[in-house]
Amino acid sequence: MIHLNEVTKVFDDGFVALSNVSLKIGKGEFAFVVGPSGAGKSTLIKLLFREQLVSAGEIIVNGRNLTELQPQEIPYFRRSLGIVFQDFRLLPDKNCYENVAFAMRVIEASRRDIQRRVKHVLDLVGLLPKAKIYPAQLSGGEQQRVAIARAIVNNPAVLIADEPTGNLDPETTWETMRIFERINQSGTTILMVTHDKPIVDQMMKRVIALENGRITRDESKGVYGYED
Amino acid sequence: MKISTAEYFITESLNSIRRNGLMSLASLMTVALSLLILGVFIILVMNLNHMASVLESQVQVTVYLQDTLKEVEVREIGTRITKLPGVTRVNFIAKEEAMNRFKQRLGEQQGLLAELGEANPLPNSFEVKLDRPERVKPVALAIAQLKGVEAARYGQEVVEQLFSLTRMVRIFGVVLILFLGLAALFIIVNTIRLTVFARRREIGIMKYVGATDWFIRWPFIIEGVLLGFLGACIAVLPLTQFYSMLTGQVYESLAFLPLLPKYPFMGYVNIFLLCAGIGIGALGSVISVKKFLKV
Repeated sequence: MIHLNEVTKVFDDGFVALSNVSLKIGKGEFAFVVGPSGAGKSTLIKLLFREQLVSAGEIIVNGRNLTELQPQEIPYFRRSLGIVFQDFRLLPDKNCYENVAFAMRVIEASRRDIQRRVKHVLDLVGLLPKAKIYPAQLSGGEQQRVAIARAIVNNPAVLIADEPTGNLDPETTWETMRIFERINQSGTTILMVTHDKPIVDQMMKRVIALENGRITRDESKGVYGYED
Repeated sequence: MKISTAEYFITESLNSIRRNGLMSLASLMTVALSLLILGVFIILVMNLNHMASVLESQVQVTVYLQDTLKEVEVREIGTRITKLPGVTRVNFIAKEEAMNRFKQRLGEQQGLLAELGEANPLPNSFEVKLDRPERVKPVALAIAQLKGVEAARYGQEVVEQLFSLTRMVRIFGVVLILFLGLAALFIIVNTIRLTVFARRREIGIMKYVGATDWFIRWPFIIEGVLLGFLGACIAVLPLTQFYSMLTGQVYESLAFLPLLPKYPFMGYVNIFLLCAGIGIGALGSVISVKKFLKV
């Protein structure tokens, strides 16, 4: 699903964010990416959904070689991904339903499909009763669940999450993680960048550690491995 | 594009206008004001142009003939003048006719002519009209060479000044119209950029969920077109009112001033301003959104 082949990313100012990183994540896997700040985790995510381009090497996501992707193909590539951010990134003037429906409007889905799918995913994250409520009136955990619903509404093969629990309290974090697990069980590949030691240690998933732009550890049932 | 998508775009742009009420009003008034000024200048320039061409078309050569010519010779000269390049009409003015016109021009002071008695010192003449004012000088020179011609007169200085004036008015007018158009575009780009800026997060999210650039642009373009069109309407109404008042006044008291008649002139001006408003709105949106699409 995700295949990095000797990927290097050097910024204009000469900073090497990733250096010679090779990585393979198979279909249906659930992988954590851990590491100290500045290790290159955010850069990795930006490369994965082609916000930035590699300096050397190649990235293949969902069978598409991102180094060869034309600018006008980027939107269509992104539709095969779901993305969840630490800060939720919901639209404040749209209610929950509209926020999720938005991702389907963009791909010009039919009104009937939109209604059916949005209800389904809102139900999946347990927010169907709050469909008409605006983000400002929701708790952080609920907002993140809306964002997750939006990320999966188009049935992406890969879900990328950038510290999705970074702004949540421990209890809400577990609720959110259970949703991710359920999504993963339905066959979606998940790559999650996180600083959250307890969830990594308890979930016993694959752990990829990044330090100074290099992979230092890649264990199939790993632990967080850093002191908080 | 699907109908539901088009519907969505229109709802989005209307919502955006409503949400940014004050900003929308500011853009609207900017468009209206810019187009109003643009319209005033178009009216001014077009009318000056019109006056210039009316004056230009009045340019003619007056040919005075020697008194001793026989009728056949006069006719011969007339035919020769007609054959010159650029001559559109040749009118023969007999000396009696010339005297009548002179008397008319003198009006109440006709008595001055009484001393002349039956004698008529005015010569026979031709009035020669030309298709293009640039031809006046060569044609006049050619006519002066003809046998039997006393003199060929034309207001050389007046004609040449007129040329440089109309040329300047035209160049100045075009430059001014371009400049005002650009200024209007610039102001609108800046106003729309503010509403786009307020929605940059939204644009970023749209990019993340896989919206194409055109999908993101359309609501903004519709918004710009609507604001541009409404702004142009606000400009067009007082402008039309003003011009019909102006022409009414001028026809009544300054009838010799050749103003363009309201129809169809103001129709063209209004159509132009409405198109300009729509174009400026659309272009302004495209330019404003451009920067925020790079996610």
